[in-house]
Amino acid sequence: MKSVERPSWRGYLFVAPATVYLAVFALLPLGVAGYLALHRWHLLKPEHPFVGGGNFTALWTDPFFRQAVSNTLLYVVLSVPLGVVTALGVAVLVAQPLRGMGLFRTLFYIPAVSSQVALSMVWIWILLPEVGLLNGCVKWLGGAGTTNFLGEPGWALLALVAMSLWIGLGPRMIIFLAGIQSIPGSLFEAAALDGCNAWRRFLHITLPLLAPTMLFVVVTTTIAAFQLFTPVYVMTRGGPRRSTDVLLYHIYQEAWQKLELGMASAQSYVLFAMILVVALVQFRLLRRGWTGVSMN
Amino acid sequence: MPKPKAPACCYRWDRRARDTAWRRSVWPCHPTRSVGFPCRWSCLAAIWAATVVLFAAAAGGCAREDEPSTTVLRVANWTGPDVEPGLVRLERQFRQEFEAAHPGVRLQMEQIPGYGQYTPKLLMMHVAGCMPDVIHLDASAAAVFIDNGVLRDLTPLIESDPQFDLTQYFEPVVEVARRGSSLYAIPLDFTPMMMFYNKRLFDEAHVAYPQAGWTWDEFLQKAKALTVRPAGAARPTQYGFYFENWMPLWVLWLWTNGADVLDPDGRRASGYFDGPQSVEAVEFIVELMTKHRVAPDLRDSAIAGTDLFRSGRAAMDLKGHWMLLDYRADGLDVGVVPLPVRGREEAAERERATVVYAAGLAVTAASRQSQLAWEYVKFMTSRDVQVRRVASGLAISGNKLAAAQFAGTPIEDAFLAEVAYARPPWGARVERYPFLEELGREMMEDLLHARGTLSVAEALRRTVRLMDAALAEP
Repeated sequence: MKSVERPSWRGYLFVAPATVYLAVFALLPLGVAGYLALHRWHLLKPEHPFVGGGNFTALWTDPFFRQAVSNTLLYVVLSVPLGVVTALGVAVLVAQPLRGMGLFRTLFYIPAVSSQVALSMVWIWILLPEVGLLNGCVKWLGGAGTTNFLGEPGWALLALVAMSLWIGLGPRMIIFLAGIQSIPGSLFEAAALDGCNAWRRFLHITLPLLAPTMLFVVVTTTIAAFQLFTPVYVMTRGGPRRSTDVLLYHIYQEAWQKLELGMASAQSYVLFAMILVVALVQFRLLRRGWTGVSMN
Repeated sequence: MPKPKAPACCYRWDRRARDTAWRRSVWPCHPTRSVGFPCRWSCLAAIWAATVVLFAAAAGGCAREDEPSTTVLRVANWTGPDVEPGLVRLERQFRQEFEAAHPGVRLQMEQIPGYGQYTPKLLMMHVAGCMPDVIHLDASAAAVFIDNGVLRDLTPLIESDPQFDLTQYFEPVVEVARRGSSLYAIPLDFTPMMMFYNKRLFDEAHVAYPQAGWTWDEFLQKAKALTVRPAGAARPTQYGFYFENWMPLWVLWLWTNGADVLDPDGRRASGYFDGPQSVEAVEFIVELMTKHRVAPDLRDSAIAGTDLFRSGRAAMDLKGHWMLLDYRADGLDVGVVPLPVRGREEAAERERATVVYAAGLAVTAASRQSQLAWEYVKFMTSRDVQVRRVASGLAISGNKLAAAQFAGTPIEDAFLAEVAYARPPWGARVERYPFLEELGREMMEDLLHARGTLSVAEALRRTVRLMDAALAEP
């Protein structure tokens, strides 16, 4: 078995393309952005003075940037738990071995393979005041049905959260479904024989055994939520009254409308730090739960 | 275990990994599928080939592929698939004509659709060193190109070209791209902003058509008379005026009140955008929606989800020449007049104002074939090409001789008469102006949402502070 353990230069050859790709398109930009963040760097101006932490201190006092941060956090806090819980619920439902379940799985997955821009356009129509589908439903249920979801500062972010639940449902559901299906059926049978009802089986078998899946879904959903962009760009442009001006959109504006690449890079690093901290905390918390119930 | 007979590397590879998932995987070199060639190397070669192609594609973003005998002239414009097919056909025809007149030259049109992406993309191309030779220059965003050395000063080319006559072009449109004695673009086409009105709605309401020199008061009276609000209805079924929160349009109400956004040098907004005449103008616009209800507010527009003027539910609209194409397609019978003025006795002439939104052709500083680029600019702005290009009604030709061909109809004459009062937009002179327009849009949004709880003067003061800060940044 000696040959198995010998490090093979051929192996390095295989991973080299991916490594080169990551180095050039991920690590190098990361480094360059770090360099830009320490400079006052306007895309077209010849001089790029070094400002050290100047960009970051300026961000600290910039009310628009602070609003973007709080909008982003609010979006993450609302959309991640809701998104994960809904996806888990739907996954449990479509995991039932019933006829025609494939159809439902497909239906729930369709948004994930559609263009986000096209979906955003559809949601603009769904969310229209008075004539939109959602307001029509509200009216049918006896409400006023006059809410201008994308036009009212109090509603716009919530509307984006609702839309994200629907768009992100498919991929999250599929991962949960795979997790559920990898749980040995014998465990459920044994629990059923011992008199556990469906709810207790879910609580004591499905949920603990899904912990690794849960960690993956929570972390990826959180990262995606921090990086919300397309629906904002298409549907609200950060409005009304900057209520949907989330970080990535703000960074885009800073870089491409104001051409301030240094400042935009500093903002990117703030976003990076936020994602990193949140992901680390999630790893800590969820992994502890996971090892605690490890089956192996 | 017997040694494998052939040195088929796939086999060895698989044996080494036999206790791993490889065996169950869809790996094509599994012994049962092995076809006996060293496909590990094929796979590796394929991966590397893909990598090389990927990097080559990334690095060669602006490489040229023509044989050396062909000269490629690259031209960037912002037309996309939504442009009317007639114009696309014409552009192709012009390209063929130019290529026929210049053997060995190939024109490469680079279309960058999506208006918001045009400027950033070109600036990136400039920074990355793969700028096209000729670009279409939009007056509203011209400053960022002109003031950062992206464009070539055309004056030497003009002076050394006896065939070219700059006086053929409309002066206010030429001024858009001028800095002192330097000129950075030749006008292609343009439009002043004008007030369109729907004749059928005016006739039905027995309201007289507006005439040039009309005032804000007359405008308001007509708008009221043209607004139809059935008893008990939540909102009018027909509006007198169609308001859109787009600062390039509503800034004209400031201009027709003798006010402006910035000081004459374009250095600050304080004392101008928050001046008494600006306050009065913005109050007038806001009250059209909040007090008089003769124009749809943001919510009404969102509900309508469509252009209310085009759908015959608003009687007046402030727009440019390009809308005539749509109105004609919709079968709307429209008239056109200059904007109403505030109507102060002493300032009537000063108040008459409109903006000229224009497209010009500019040669980039990076172009290594400026003479050929100049030939193309001359060709496209020439009378012969222009007459055919604007025949559709998209815009007014920047070439006076070509524009004169279409004079004689009431609509064209109204547009042409207004050229004398047209000024270049601030975006042609102040690099950060597009950002200020964004602040203005947000301010109007605030005012319309506040429903009277935010005073116009206060909103303007707040916005002016932000504008001044943006202008003061080094």
